[in-house]
Formats: sequence, structure tokens, C-alpha cells
Amino acid sequence: MSSQKLSAWLLWIYLLLFLFIMLSPLFVMGGAALNDSRFPSVYPWKGFTTQWFVDLWNDPRMWIAGRNTLLVAFGVVALALPIGTAGAILINSLSGATRAIVYGFMVAPILTPGAVIGISTLLFWRTFSIPAGLHLSALGQTSFIAAYVMLLVLARLQSFDAGLEEAALDLGASHGQVLRRILLPHLYPALGAGAIIGFFQSVENFNVTLFTRGGSDTLTVYVGSMVRTGAPPTINALALILILITVTATIIYEVLRRRALAREMAADALLK
Amino acid sequence: MSAAVELAGVSVDFGKFRAVDNVNVTVQPGEFFSFLGPSGCGKTTILRMISGFNDPTEGVVRIGGQDMRGIRPNKRPTALIFQNLALFPLMPVWENISFGLEVRGVDKTKRRAKAEELLNLVDLHDVADRRISQLSGGQKQRVAIARALAVEPKVMLLDEPLSALDLKLRQHMRAELRAIQKRTNVTFIYITHDQGEALAMSDRVAVMSQGRLQQVAPPQEIYNAPANGFVASFVGEINAFQGELSAVSGGIGEFKTANGLFRAKVGPGVSPGIAAKLYVRPEHTILAAAARPGANNIPVDVADVAFEGNFINISAKTSDGRSLTVEMRNDGTTALPPAGSKMQFTFDPAKALILADTTLPKPGNWP
Ligand SMILES: Nc1ncnc2c1ncn2[C@@H]1O[C@H](COP(=O)(O)OP(=O)(O)O)[C@@H](O)[C@H]1O
Ligand SMILES: [Mg+2]
Repeated sequence: MSSQKLSAWLLWIYLLLFLFIMLSPLFVMGGAALNDSRFPSVYPWKGFTTQWFVDLWNDPRMWIAGRNTLLVAFGVVALALPIGTAGAILINSLSGATRAIVYGFMVAPILTPGAVIGISTLLFWRTFSIPAGLHLSALGQTSFIAAYVMLLVLARLQSFDAGLEEAALDLGASHGQVLRRILLPHLYPALGAGAIIGFFQSVENFNVTLFTRGGSDTLTVYVGSMVRTGAPPTINALALILILITVTATIIYEVLRRRALAREMAADALLK
Repeated sequence: MSAAVELAGVSVDFGKFRAVDNVNVTVQPGEFFSFLGPSGCGKTTILRMISGFNDPTEGVVRIGGQDMRGIRPNKRPTALIFQNLALFPLMPVWENISFGLEVRGVDKTKRRAKAEELLNLVDLHDVADRRISQLSGGQKQRVAIARALAVEPKVMLLDEPLSALDLKLRQHMRAELRAIQKRTNVTFIYITHDQGEALAMSDRVAVMSQGRLQQVAPPQEIYNAPANGFVASFVGEINAFQGELSAVSGGIGEFKTANGLFRAKVGPGVSPGIAAKLYVRPEHTILAAAARPGANNIPVDVADVAFEGNFINISAKTSDGRSLTVEMRNDGTTALPPAGSKMQFTFDPAKALILADTTLPKPGNWP
């Protein structure tokens, strides 16, 4: 066997192994959601059932937790986008030690454990007599999700030609108009990515939420409490639904993106 | 009527480095005025100062007689065409052009109409809805001009706008720009390191070197009567001789060089004892079989003959190895001297100039 063939084989084996390790838990999870067994497992297979979906649908706690999760996530995105963008624009205009310090402050929450962020959010707002609740969860999550947005926007700013800003000013634009018509449109892709990443970071967040939520549930907290009381397969049903939503959304996004790209290339080709 | 733009004793420092040094210039309304000089001599800095992006360290900028101190770029009656054009890549052509109107609150139908009108003015058709990336270099150029004209500036500032185009298009755009300027009667301040461009387009040219003005004059005067050695050697081809001025009488000086004693007109501010050089343009020299009485003569060997069609470029070597250039017009019967032949390099005293030797060390990126 030639070494070329061998490396091709190894690559295939690696790929299969990779996909297996990545995806098999998802299949087990999905399978367990459809297994007519009181314990979440695929084996022994006791027959197909939609019972766990029905149970989930009929659980009012789940609906409240789901609504809360969305509320927090939208709140976080609404806060993190302007804060992260402003931070990136500020850092981009600085240099030297000031830049390093501001940058450090901005990214520190990413490296801080969620429990620490959760507890400090709680303590900080308590000094202003603000009680725990979903609003604090949103604020706590924003502190590190804004940093993700900042990193994305900062990367996008590297490709911005500052000359465009000057050109707009020269034509009589105010700084506000430059921001709205020139800079923000350039940042839209990063803001879109920031919104999506921020949204999912918020949905999946457990640690910060656990400490700040007060008496309210979010989906992660709801699942966490169910696991403690014996993990019924309704959790698997919920997980399967979330996986399907994510996969569908990804496919739709990718299809739309490719169509837009093809349209652009066709338009260019037409003119050449 | 007050001057369109007046620079009164302006200097610009970047830290310890003085990029623009005590420049005094008055540009008249409706004038096509050029700043000409090698890369890095401070041309862009001057334009950015007029448009308000740099503040002068010393001196005052006035536009239409008004002191510009404290007036930001978006409040000045100028429009700058950037060296890289700086068109907005995310807007279609017509929105680029009407951007200046948009920020002034003009409504969409009027903006669209104005954009179409300006596209016609710069001779661009059927591109209003294209994206910038779909335009050729020359088309982008025109869009940039239209965008600047849209705000009806008192002064248009153009920073080497043709430098990115290929030669043919550049020649064409020269005439085009000039025509647009005449049509609109807007004051143009044009920056270039290309002397051909400056001479062909401008009403007046300011030659700059290392942040300082060397001469401000109409193109013919710049070429025919350069004020000093820098202008003489930067604008056009020229033969230069090192030497020393001895006697001067009737405007003609005697100049002692390694190749002999020559006579030539004495330029402004030159007198014996001042470092000077003798300059003569290739088209003012003659390659003769024998020395001509009354002319300056140097025996040379013909090194290379380049037949260019309408003229002939000959390079000749003196006995001390210096290279001289002669340019002969081709009248259809002109005989070419064979390479290697011994000839006389001759020129009339009235055609040569003795000028102060202010030739500065050439920066690396001369055109
Ligand atoms: N912002 C700046 N900071 C420091 N030096 C500068 C700056 N802008 C220009 N310079 C320097 O000033 C000189 C003149 O620059 P510029 O006006 O761009 O020249 P030109 O347009 O004639 O090529 C150059 O040596 C350049 O390096
Ligand atoms: Mg320049």
C-alpha cells in the first residue's frame, strides 16, 4: 500500500471516529426520547412512544421556563450588542497601554467562572437594593456576552477603511451620520454573528443564571432541577426538540447565504 | 473678489518633523491650481489642511476670505477627492454620489435626480444602480468626481486622482477633468507628482520640495524660466553642469566647468560666490559636426541614438565620462549621427540658465 493511500485511509478513520464521538450521544439522546421506558435509555428498547413529548407539552413549568429563557436571551442581545460595539470602537481608537488595559477589562468576564460572575452580580446589585430575578440574570450574562460581541466587532473593524469616515465627514456628514451610514453597515455581519452567538450563549447559560434568577426558572435551570429529581425522559424529548431547531435553523441560514452569494456572482459575471 | 483659498505662512509639524514649511499661496476663484512635487514633499498634508483634517501648526488658512480656524471638515465648503477615492463600497453608485445631499436632508427623489444629472456631467451612463466593486478604475474615478461635485463645493481638492489609472486612461482623464472644471467653474486644487499632468492641466503650478514652495507660476514659466535648480531638474529633462560663476555682464554670466568656460543667462538671485549650476534643456542643444562660433561647445562621443518618431533622443559622453542628452526634432529628413561618432554638443548662451543649486537630495521614490 502506498503511503498516499495509507494517509487517505487514516484520514477516513479519523473522520468517522470524530463524527461517531460527536454525534453518538445525540443519537442516544434522541433514541431515548422515543423509547417507551421510564428511564432515559435506548437499551433495552421497549417500543416507540411519543409519551415523553406529550408529558413535556403538558408541563406548565416547562412553558414558563421556556418563555423566561427567551426573555433573558432577547434582553441580553439587546444589551450586549450596543455595549460590545461601543467597546470595540473605543478600543480600536486607542493604542499602547491604554488599549491593553481597556481590552483586558473588556475580555476579563469571558475568563471569569460563571459562578463568580453570578455571585458578584447578585452582591453588586444588592448594594442598590435590587433583588435577584431574571433582570439580574440578563445583566450578569451581558457582562461576558458583551465581550464576545466586542471581540467579533473588533475583528471586523480591522477591515474598515478609516478613509471612508473622512470621506463622509468631508461631504458634510455629522459623526452620528458617519456611524449610522458608514460604520454600522460595515459592522452588520459582525453584529449579526454577535446577536446569534449571544442568543445561544444566553440560552445555554446555567451558572450565572442559577445565582441571579431569584425564584424564576429558565430552561437550563428547569432541566437541572429535573435531573436532580431522577431525570425522566421528558428531558430527552426537550433536548431532541432543541437539536432539531438548531439543525433546521443552520440549514436554512446556509441555504440563504449560498443563494445570496450565487446571486452576487451571477450579477458580477453578467457585467464582465 | 476674495481669494478662493489663501495659505498665509502655514507650517505643519508632525512631532519634530516639519512636513509643510512656511507656505504662502493665494488661489483665485475658478482657477485650476496644482501642487507639484516628489512623493513625501507635503502635498497631501496641504490638502488635508485645507479640508480641515490637519491643523496648521503656524499660519492661517482662509477660504473665500474666511478664517478656517475652528471649522471642522464637515462644515467647510471644500470637497476632497482622496488618493484612493474612498468610495462607499456598501452603497450603490447613485447613493455614493448623493451622500452629501442625503446628510443635508434632501429627499430621495431629488437626490436620485441630482445623481443622474451628475453622472451625465461626468459622462457615465447606466451605472447608477451598480455596486462600486462592479466599476472599472476610470468609472470609479468619475463617480468620485461626481460625488464631490454633488455638494457644490467652492473648492475641489484632488489628491493624485489619476495615479491609479493606466497611461491611456490617464491622458484621457486629464482633458476630461479640465473640461469638467471649465464647465462647472469650481476652483480646483490639484495635487500630483507627475509634471506632465501639472503642466498640461493647470492655470498655475506650485512646485514643492521638502515642505517648501520652490516656485509658483503658470506652466510655461515653470518650464521655460525655472526659479532654481530644483524646479529646473524636477520639471522636464535637463542637462546640468557643476561649476563656478565668475563675471556677469548684461545678464549673461561666465561659468567655469570641468568641460570648459561657458556663457549663459544668469537666473534670479544668482551672483558670483553663490552655489550654482548651469542648466540647458535637451531640445535647446544641437549636435554639430564642428564647434559653432558664439555658442558653447563640448566635444562628445555619441553613445546611443533612440529614434522616437517625432523626435530623436541622443545620449552623448564627454571626455570625462559625463552623460549628456540631446533632443532633435524629426522633420522627415533629419540624419541620425552614428553611435560612436565624435561630435560637438553645442548650445546658445541665451538658451541656458545659471540657477541657484538648491537641488535637494532625491528621496527614494521619485517618479
Ligand atoms: N500623520 C502623520 N504623522 C507623521 N508624519 C506624517 C503624517 N502625515 C504625513 N507625514 C509625513 O509628512 C511628509 C509629507 O507627507 P505627504 O503630505 O503625505 O506627502 P505627499 O502627499 O507629497 O507625498 C512625509 O514625510 C510623511 O511621512
Ligand atoms: Mg500624497
